[in-house]
Amino acid sequence: MTTLTTDAAPQSAAPAKGSNKSRPRTPAEWILMILACLGALIVVFPMVLLLINAFKSPADYANSSPLDLPKALDFTGIKTFWETQNFPRALWNSIFISTMVAVLGVILSVLNSFAIGIGRVRGRTWIVLAFLMANLIPQEMLFDPLFKLYDKLGLLSNPWSVIITFTVIQAAFGTYLLSSLLGTFPKEILEAAAVDGASRGKILRSVIVPIIRPTLSVLMVFFFIWTWNEFLLPLAFLNTSDSLTVPLLLEQLNGERQTDTTTLIAGTLISIIPTMIFFLIFQRTLTRGITAGAVK
Amino acid sequence: MKRRTAAAAGILAVGALALTACSSGGDEPAASGSSGSGDYAGQTLTVMHYEGEDSAMGIAWNKAIDIFEQETGATVNLQTTAFEDLNSSAEQLFDSSDAPDVSEYNKGNGTAGQLASIGVIQNLDKYYDEYGWGDKLASGIDTIAKYDENGVMGSGDWYGVPNYGEFVFLYYNKDMFDQYGLTVPTTMDELESDMQTFVDNGITPLTTSAQEYPMGQLWYQLALSQADRQWVNDYQLYQNPVDWTGKEVTYASSTLQDWISKGYISKDVSGMTAEDAGLQFINGESPMFYSGSWWYGRMLSDITDFNFGITNWPETTLTPGSGGNIWVIPAQSKNPDLAAKFIDITMSPEVQNLLGDSGGLPVAADASQITDPDAQTLISLFNEVNDKDGLSFYPDWPTPDFYGDLNSVMQGLVNGTYDATSANAQLGTYYEDYVSTVQ
Amino acid sequence: MSSSLPLVREQRRKRRPAEAARIPERSGSKLGYWLYFIPGAIAVGIVIFYPLVRNLRLSFFHWKGGRAEEHFAGLDNWIALFSDHEFLQSFRNIFLVVIAMVIIPTLLGLIISALLFDVVGRRFSGKLSSFLRATYYLPQILPIAVAGVMFSWILKPNSDGVLNQFLSAITGSTVEINWLGGSYGTAMGSVMVLMIWIQIGYPIVIFMAALGRVEPQLYEAAELDGANWFQRFRAITLPMIRPEVFVVALTTTIAALKVFAPVFILTGGGPTKSTYVPSFYAYNEFIKGPDKGYAATIASAITIVVFVVAVIFIQVQTRAERKDA
Repeated sequence: MTTLTTDAAPQSAAPAKGSNKSRPRTPAEWILMILACLGALIVVFPMVLLLINAFKSPADYANSSPLDLPKALDFTGIKTFWETQNFPRALWNSIFISTMVAVLGVILSVLNSFAIGIGRVRGRTWIVLAFLMANLIPQEMLFDPLFKLYDKLGLLSNPWSVIITFTVIQAAFGTYLLSSLLGTFPKEILEAAAVDGASRGKILRSVIVPIIRPTLSVLMVFFFIWTWNEFLLPLAFLNTSDSLTVPLLLEQLNGERQTDTTTLIAGTLISIIPTMIFFLIFQRTLTRGITAGAVK
Repeated sequence: MKRRTAAAAGILAVGALALTACSSGGDEPAASGSSGSGDYAGQTLTVMHYEGEDSAMGIAWNKAIDIFEQETGATVNLQTTAFEDLNSSAEQLFDSSDAPDVSEYNKGNGTAGQLASIGVIQNLDKYYDEYGWGDKLASGIDTIAKYDENGVMGSGDWYGVPNYGEFVFLYYNKDMFDQYGLTVPTTMDELESDMQTFVDNGITPLTTSAQEYPMGQLWYQLALSQADRQWVNDYQLYQNPVDWTGKEVTYASSTLQDWISKGYISKDVSGMTAEDAGLQFINGESPMFYSGSWWYGRMLSDITDFNFGITNWPETTLTPGSGGNIWVIPAQSKNPDLAAKFIDITMSPEVQNLLGDSGGLPVAADASQITDPDAQTLISLFNEVNDKDGLSFYPDWPTPDFYGDLNSVMQGLVNGTYDATSANAQLGTYYEDYVSTVQ
Repeated sequence: MSSSLPLVREQRRKRRPAEAARIPERSGSKLGYWLYFIPGAIAVGIVIFYPLVRNLRLSFFHWKGGRAEEHFAGLDNWIALFSDHEFLQSFRNIFLVVIAMVIIPTLLGLIISALLFDVVGRRFSGKLSSFLRATYYLPQILPIAVAGVMFSWILKPNSDGVLNQFLSAITGSTVEINWLGGSYGTAMGSVMVLMIWIQIGYPIVIFMAALGRVEPQLYEAAELDGANWFQRFRAITLPMIRPEVFVVALTTTIAALKVFAPVFILTGGGPTKSTYVPSFYAYNEFIKGPDKGYAATIASAITIVVFVVAVIFIQVQTRAERKDA
């Protein structure tokens, strides 16, 4: 139980201290390692295509196969994208919306799961299911009713329409996950805190949340990424050009009957750079795992 | 286009469209208010459209915005969007606080007609009276501006204002035709023998796409070549039941089946988008592409290493085409009067001429003012169609789902799921499913 | 489970659920906990249950949308649904989607994460292992439309297609397979590959994090006992990460049952509507269809199926946890 106060899971997936490095690597291990690398290569391959084709001129693109390298580095696509679209604005909208959803979604998940996992309220399986409904129903169902609701509330083309909606949807997953995690929370700690006279709210804030913090940060990263890529509902709720998110901005590049493909590719490349940076910063967080706070 | 055609001679009969050369636009005061500039100072008009900034419409409408701001003193808040975006959200958007004051929208029964019938776009009869737009629109163009209570075009009240026309024709690669000593086909026999020559030389002659609209339009063109105006009215306006075993659709589907088996059309087209097909023409892989005037500007700018030409489909009176997308005023437009004023400016000769000179097909231009030779080529081809009263709309208009239905059957025809007979039977089922509910 | 692994046993035992609230209270009342539901309940009520009820109601009406009037339809829509060939086909495809989004990614995820953790991480370099994991996760952070563009290059039907070029190079003869338009088999296969590609990173990241919990000594002890990699995988890895397997399986199953974006961007439902999935069908009917009531019926049917599946999942999970306890 003493491990509880420390970060519950090892930081890295691969403890460098592994003592068995001294043993020579077997051929089988080499083969497995190469297989793992090959698999990663296959996964990353489509993105290499993106990189190759983003720097072709429209004529070059039309006349070459996707695998051909560009005849000359051409920045027309990138330039057109940058000049015709307000990318910084969309980037800001996306960051604001995704961050708010990540934070609010986690808060909502903690509140719900505290009552379910620690409070053990009656009928909790069904309560989990009720919250999970947000994740179960297909989004096209929400389209029309929520549009009319936000219209009445004056929230159309306002980031909060998307934030509210996705806070609820993401918190469904969070509630489900944290409820079963808190269901295994060590009783001894709770008892000790109660003996000290701490109230429920205080125990939640200063005992439970710190211990499950690794899991909460993983949830935040997930919520952020999932919200970032959402398309259907933001498309419905955000209609003015300065309220668009990054995926919506990319969609604007599709024409009625033709597509300015080089601009689309260039825009795509530019638009995934912030996501990549975000991911590189936070990918260590993900190594902690969603049940990492569980008792060792 | 490298080809400077004889059409440049200048007897441009844009008049087929611009029936009246009456002066119009800003100097005709709106009945409701006086016309002096600055009357609307401080007001904002939200305009929405989805045309590219450097397309003919984009250029012309930017001009219209300038004129409008000058004349009225109001400010325009321009919101550009994407066709698909607006298509999927207009039903909600136009009846909400976020609605633009005036917007471009897709014409036809399943789109503008649907919006009219469910009351989310405004009836424009009042403004048609006021500004006299009806006189400017040729018949065939104005069909798409009127919808009845079921959303069927051609009769009923005015709901939209078309600004431009569009039609479908054959793009051909002049260099490749010359290389094999072929002439531009003027009969179906010539077309087929040209295609056979290309096949004999290992070239797939006709590119198209069955995943998106081009092959459906080709199918429709083939049917139209055997049809009369009444068949179009039956098919599009539900005047009489369509015979799905009749000569029109039988000819269309069996010709396509034949062409596919002879290799005139590649089996690849079932997995190709319109963009893929267009690129095959642009990069010289394919000598012919049957598609619409909306490609024209793109072809002019992107085709650099060969000459191309355009011609109407051989041996046909009827051709797919119509007025272009229309201006509509959403139900919750905050300023419909000002919106109508804006629409009127887009119909003025100044804006219409610019639209024509930029490669579009104006509906109310002054023919003598259009000088660009490429624009003249296109306009003269369009006038050939109009002189025969040939505009016959598009194949996917009769039902809201027919676009997907038709593409799906075309794919089946290409990959052998359907033969000509079963393809028509399936199309008939899709068609009747909906049409039986509105007839 | 081998008896040489007492640690695992001990860990499992601590998962026993207690029936009382777990913070001892003077009053012993659990009522106060309900207060914590207030924000969640209000939000879910408005954002989820209000639209849900409206949709269920709408499934008994014909409605053209907008300001048009609703006409009571009774069970018309529901009856039509069960004789709708496209709907039934779309539900058949769901089984393939579950294979592509749940079963294959979970199995592959187990193998790859064990490989990365156990072989690459411990026998080669931890850095390489992290790097590969990040690579496998990349598709998860890409907007789906982007994936669509990239896969359309790969799957072009003619010799421009990257996959066709690749196959031509391998076989030495010209391969021109019309992946997306040629037949149901190749189109559905392509959609499934796209789904696997998108999904694979999610289980890998979650499973690898879970593996981080396993005491290294366990593996070393097992190795000394002469257990081979596969035996270790079965005896240590799998039981340790079972909670994560549940989470992954449940969430991806839910996602699979209501998936539509990969179909939407790759095939648009074609060829000949054979790759329709229910949610895509509902979306299409909502946007383009003449009767929103029918669209609502499709969406309601999907919801019912997803709900039933989720209930079964959670029951199984609860039972498994009890058994462990």
